[in-house]
Amino acid sequence: MNELTAEDASLLELVDRLLNKGVVLTGEATISVAGIDLIYLGLNVVLTAVETLNKSQERRAS
Amino acid sequence: MTLLAHAIAAAPPAVLSPEGLRGRPLAWSEASAGLGLWSTEWAPDMKLERPDALEHHRLVERICAAQPCLPVRFGTAFASVDAARASLDKRSEVLHAALARVSGKSEVALTLLWRRRPAPVEPVAGPGPGRRYLEMRRAEESERESQQARAASLVERILAELAVERPLVWHETCTSPSVAVSLAVLVPTEEALQRKADLARIVAGFDDVTPVLNGPWPPYTFARTE
Repeated sequence: MNELTAEDASLLELVDRLLNKGVVLTGEATISVAGIDLIYLGLNVVLTAVETLNKSQERRAS
Repeated sequence: MTLLAHAIAAAPPAVLSPEGLRGRPLAWSEASAGLGLWSTEWAPDMKLERPDALEHHRLVERICAAQPCLPVRFGTAFASVDAARASLDKRSEVLHAALARVSGKSEVALTLLWRRRPAPVEPVAGPGPGRRYLEMRRAEESERESQQARAASLVERILAELAVERPLVWHETCTSPSVAVSLAVLVPTEEALQRKADLARIVAGFDDVTPVLNGPWPPYTFARTE
């Protein structure tokens, strides 16, 4: 695994908050994030920052 | 009309610029319990991208600067205004309580990154591969436990020196090989920069981690209601 820079850490902390924190409301519509459909599991959005991190690393690697 | 949610606030809504995500209309949907939802009028076939997440963050910052608000998890969408209202009405008491908890407050974030990565564990010269494997696993486990203990002690020192109530602090330790501590503090917005400076001073003495301070941000971590 690569070293995490301070800039990476800041972005990851923010993305973690956007995707994993905040109020979870019961949504009805499905919208895609970066081409991947969000799955409303139990009518709540489920998308982890880990997935975001993986995608970010894949993009960097490509 | 699909609504892409940004934040929940108490009525009446603040006066805000009418531009939402990607310049689309920013909408206020008022529910019956004195709460409302700030959202962008969206189209279901429009896919969200990474820049949209950061723009959502800037929008939430703008809303929170104008009135106390609860950030909504990015990607939450409603098929109609009625669906959005119904969702707020269903949890109005909990949302009012959460709004009162974060009103006038901001979040300051601290990440401590390990300065030195643990040296890779060398296989011990020994009789057989099974023994070597077990010795290696034992050394790795011992290193993990030592990092966990050190991260926990860093958190304790921060909490002791910061002198804030525990419910106003959230933290996790060793969430990845690089991260020792991820911590968030809920502070009065007008004191946020001072508290950030306090944190910087406290962690400046830690010689085995690099501190990364962020914020003040909207109170994402403390808006959870479940």
